[in-house]
Amino acid sequence: MTTIQNFLPEQYRQTGALEINHNYLHDQFADHDEIWLKIREVVRRGDFTLGSEVDLVEKEFAAINGVKHAIGVGSGTDALFLSLKALGIDKGDEVITTPYTFYATIGAIVTAGATPVFADARDDYNIDPAEIEKKITPRTKAIMPVHWSGKPCDMETIEAIAKKHGLAIVSDACHAIKATYKGRQAGELGTISCFSFHPLKNLNVWGDGGIIATNSDELADKLRLLRNHGLAGRDECRIFAYNSRLDTVQAVVARHMLAKIEHITASRIANSNYFDEALRSIPQITIPARENDVKQVYHLYMVRCERRDDLQKYLVENNVDAKVHYPVPMHLQPAAAFLGHKLGDFPVTEAIAASALSLPVHEFITREQQDRVIQLIKAFYG
Amino acid sequence: MAEKIVVPFVDLARQFRGIEAELTQAFLDVGRSGGYIMGARLESFERKAAEFIGVRHALGVADGSDALFLVLKALDIGPGDEVITATNSFIASAWVIAAVGATPVLVDVAEDFNIDPRLVEAAVTPRTKAIIPVHLTGRAAPMDEINAIAQKHGLFVLEDAAQAIGARYRGKRTGALGHAAGFSLHPLKNLGVYGDGGLITTDDDALAAKLRLLRNHGLRNRDECEIWGFNSRLDTMQAAFAEIKLGYLDGWNTRCRKIANIYATGLADCVQVPVDQAWEECVYHNFVIRTERRDALMTHLLENGVDTRVHYPIPIHLQDAAKHLGYKLGDFPNAERYAKTMISLPIYPELSDAEVNHVVAAVRSFF
Repeated sequence: MTTIQNFLPEQYRQTGALEINHNYLHDQFADHDEIWLKIREVVRRGDFTLGSEVDLVEKEFAAINGVKHAIGVGSGTDALFLSLKALGIDKGDEVITTPYTFYATIGAIVTAGATPVFADARDDYNIDPAEIEKKITPRTKAIMPVHWSGKPCDMETIEAIAKKHGLAIVSDACHAIKATYKGRQAGELGTISCFSFHPLKNLNVWGDGGIIATNSDELADKLRLLRNHGLAGRDECRIFAYNSRLDTVQAVVARHMLAKIEHITASRIANSNYFDEALRSIPQITIPARENDVKQVYHLYMVRCERRDDLQKYLVENNVDAKVHYPVPMHLQPAAAFLGHKLGDFPVTEAIAASALSLPVHEFITREQQDRVIQLIKAFYG
Repeated sequence: MAEKIVVPFVDLARQFRGIEAELTQAFLDVGRSGGYIMGARLESFERKAAEFIGVRHALGVADGSDALFLVLKALDIGPGDEVITATNSFIASAWVIAAVGATPVLVDVAEDFNIDPRLVEAAVTPRTKAIIPVHLTGRAAPMDEINAIAQKHGLFVLEDAAQAIGARYRGKRTGALGHAAGFSLHPLKNLGVYGDGGLITTDDDALAAKLRLLRNHGLRNRDECEIWGFNSRLDTMQAAFAEIKLGYLDGWNTRCRKIANIYATGLADCVQVPVDQAWEECVYHNFVIRTERRDALMTHLLENGVDTRVHYPIPIHLQDAAKHLGYKLGDFPNAERYAKTMISLPIYPELSDAEVNHVVAAVRSFF
């Protein structure tokens, strides 16, 4: 095995490296006084483990999603893993998902003991329901749609398939806080919906964190056991479980951000619309279809570009933090070798991975910065 | 509880006040850096922790349970395998075994609350892959005996050092006594952060490399996933707090040992008190006494303003979660007897001598 260093992933690049950055945390942290006061209060009370701030953020998160239960956990990855476990998914089971996603989607399925079965994406970067239907076998237990970049999947069709075949839907909503689909909140789209509070998510904390939304009392009870050692009280262990809790101090941060989520979401949408408007006229750029009945919240603003790698390099050289999320789809990762896929198996996914570029649209980006990005792209294509 | 607490069981605000300026600076430094996952502050803590414990590798992870779980995963221990651990422990010592699909094989403990090596040897079968000795209360398990058994049968030794950071055994620190170890940095631990946190230590380069993958999505770099893994990282901000506290740990542990000495000296004629052997330095995460009149003494202490706990009133083999393992009452007589007779007295470095003496007097007044 090669030695793995503690590499610093590119997305955590320190602020200041580029002028127009994906990482806004430096700006966000400027407003930290109230949070530090509350953290000190948590320390004073010793209220660390599933403390009152966790209860409060769970109630608030459930309320904005219109669901009965929200359960704070250690990360978005753990949210997915624990949801699969709560549904009893294990060895021999299959879970259908998209190869166009972040590693954690697949990691959760594999570490839960199940086999990931890929269904190709559509031009909007989300899983294609028609492909899902083709992949169903007697071993299929769940569908894991990923609301990529903050755009909800085609849920009506997916829900019909799930119903027809008796499958659970575990939504990977890690990008999709505050997104809506035909009037329904992201947390309502599926048997269980999983969210990430990772530092660079639309609703973030200052470390790892996640939350699970569901309307099922039974699954909520099971998840509360699974995240906290199976404990039904301090001394009584009902099931062997896991430890995956949202830290109380991070719940303080989450509540602070939750109060700003309307502004954050509105800014991202406005900034994305502005890019759409300006980039639409550039023939080398393809903007995915925007739909009227979904609210897309643009965790990532992505467009497909000709000569993508050259454009990215050009933008970075000009101090713009253009990124690729992600260049190698899941079915072509070394970790997926055991599934036996090859290049060409998922042509839409592969085409997106080869051409999509992400531009920063967070709430600290200014119009002047956006104009500069637009000018650079126009200059690049001459 | 109408009684006024004079000596709280825990009071983390006292420690915080003592090092508040440093912690605030770390919060500001990490906050302003914009890097909240992994990074230089985590690596710096890991280097210092490895040096402190005396091992080649220390890896921050999300919590102490994950530390043990990830090591078992890295070893590919799973269905059909057995792992031996103590029945008198926090439940996580056993669920980490179940969580990888293996079978927890529970063993009774001795007078020091730690796993009894003679019973470990008797529990070894052809399916046994590892032993998880728990350094309960901050006292190292009898590692010479356990390592000898492990060597004889080709077993992996994974120390559950959740309660024992800084403790010594024959000159070495816990965490350097087996093949790998898992520590908890939970707020209530001797080295506690302000949320969940954990640490893995090992001298094994290949194991450390695999664990670095497993804790971070199996990522070799940003775009390449070598194995499907987990997300189990020590938050950067918590690592910065931990690094500050590591500088104080030996001093804090020395104070805990001093308090333990006052308790032991003052109470030895009334209750069973823990005894330090010449070759060990227990760090007294808990100071556990035993008495037949446990419940009455706890009530009496509370009436006298002394808050106490029991670690743990239900041994793992009698938990609902363990039903499928087929144990029954009577299987582990020591653990069962201790569960009914143990009391943990308040012990943390910030306790004043007056408070410690108050506890001693309160216990003595009962007898």
